[in-house]
Amino acid sequence: MKVAVLVKTALDTGQLRVRDTVVIEETPFKISDIDRNAIEEAVKLKGQDKAYGVTVVKWGPLQKKIQEAENVLREALAMGLDEVYLVVDEKLLNASHTATAKAIAAVIKKVGADIVLAGEATVDNFTGQIPARVAAELGWPVVTYVRELKIEGGRVVAKRDLEDHVEVVEAPLPVVVSVTREINQPRIPTLLAIRAAMKKPINKLTLADLGIDITPKISASYRPLVIQRKKIIIKDGTPEEKAEKLIQYLRQEGVI
Amino acid sequence: MKTLVVYPNKELLYAASTLGGEITALVFSQKEAEALAGKAHRILVAEIDPKSPDAVAEAVIKAFPGHDLVMLPSTKNARTVGGLIAQRLGAEFLTDVLSLRAEGGVIKAERYVFGNKAVATVEAQLPAVVSIALGRFQGEPPTVQSIVERVEEVAIAPKVKILSVEEKPRGAVKLEEAEIIVSVGRGFKKKEDLQMAFELAKVLGGQVGCSRPIAADLKWLPEEHWVGLSGKKVKPKLYLAIGISGQPQHIAGILDSRIIAAINNDPSAPIFQNADYGVVEDLYKIVPILINKISKLKAK
Repeated sequence: MKVAVLVKTALDTGQLRVRDTVVIEETPFKISDIDRNAIEEAVKLKGQDKAYGVTVVKWGPLQKKIQEAENVLREALAMGLDEVYLVVDEKLLNASHTATAKAIAAVIKKVGADIVLAGEATVDNFTGQIPARVAAELGWPVVTYVRELKIEGGRVVAKRDLEDHVEVVEAPLPVVVSVTREINQPRIPTLLAIRAAMKKPINKLTLADLGIDITPKISASYRPLVIQRKKIIIKDGTPEEKAEKLIQYLRQEGVI
Repeated sequence: MKTLVVYPNKELLYAASTLGGEITALVFSQKEAEALAGKAHRILVAEIDPKSPDAVAEAVIKAFPGHDLVMLPSTKNARTVGGLIAQRLGAEFLTDVLSLRAEGGVIKAERYVFGNKAVATVEAQLPAVVSIALGRFQGEPPTVQSIVERVEEVAIAPKVKILSVEEKPRGAVKLEEAEIIVSVGRGFKKKEDLQMAFELAKVLGGQVGCSRPIAADLKWLPEEHWVGLSGKKVKPKLYLAIGISGQPQHIAGILDSRIIAAINNDPSAPIFQNADYGVVEDLYKIVPILINKISKLKAK
């Protein structure tokens, strides 16, 4: 089973650099959390074949971010992927989702796969639209929000976790599947695996290498969300006194 | 502006009406079409399985010519449909938008990004696809004259086949509508101890919510209690977080609460940075006292 995993080198929202605005250039990358589940599932499914990661660098400055992306991707390799494809091109900075999906699909067409795995959404933008877009671009079926996955005789059988029901669906291979965190427990790479990952290939590709051209960019501006909470901390006194104090505050607010 | 509303509901129709112009609603049965009479200029009926994102996407593609915008709710299937059609239309898909306006061929929207730590203002050229964040567009869509038409010949051989559907167990919990939520996290050591939170919720006249590990990992409560980015987004007047550390994904679900109070024995728990009132205390000591004091208060 040849598996492609969409690994997003996402902005680490826990380390967001904020001044008057969000300083994206200074915010470090990390693997988008749910993608770890996709990587784990890929490593389990690949058997004798290969599993590779695909990522598109969407944020600049390019030179600095390429280096960061490579470091982040070593983690994906340490978890058991065999190689990764890193698509970097000035034209992909702030590219539209349409363009990003085209670039990802182009890598998959070039390298080949029986199944494409992705996280249900990425931690930075959380739009959850890329798996369906990649499927549309490839002309493959897509199965989203999967919490259990089996491959049986050339098709996938999956449990989809929707708002108020769970669906069991089947689809023929090749297929794009997005997974939820519940599908597995991602492994923590051993020291040996981390060492081995240093020797695995990170292939860098430009749009020219993929034979595609992309123009549309999106315009977006970001302002930090200032949560205006009162942050009144009650830490002195007996539990009795603290409870009394909390009740007093909540009554003043008119909420109890 | 001509907006095609898929999986139409009151909120979507209202949001579409704020953009002006004509509204088309795409529905999947004659019955749905009848219920919608007077609420959209055109009502298109495509008789397909609304549960199949494949089939719905085909119907949307078929119905789209002549429209500028597709509007969807923020459900998982609608998001899947949105991704499929946006790629085929070469259009942007703005998800979970908090606000929306259109000017000169461009749609402008705001949405939360970066773990809900920032608000992005995003612009996209029309045609575009948007999904609306739940509860953000409150109002009555105007009454209009409706024409009902059918969408013919939607290619209906979905590649993804639904084998079975299992309803999730549902109790009487409606966290989205609750005014008071007492929410529990990993600070509780045993499932039985959650009883304390249920008692406190009862004396407060509220519901019980929980963080991800309680519902997803430990399964101490059904998922309908789960508050957060992957669970329910809530907007009570009081959100009382007990033994919850306050992961960003959890905070994302409670942003719209009026007052947030937190009880945690770890003074460095991130929940305190996101709370109006924080009590540093062992929940096992303070919750029984709160139950006692509040029930006396209510009895007065």
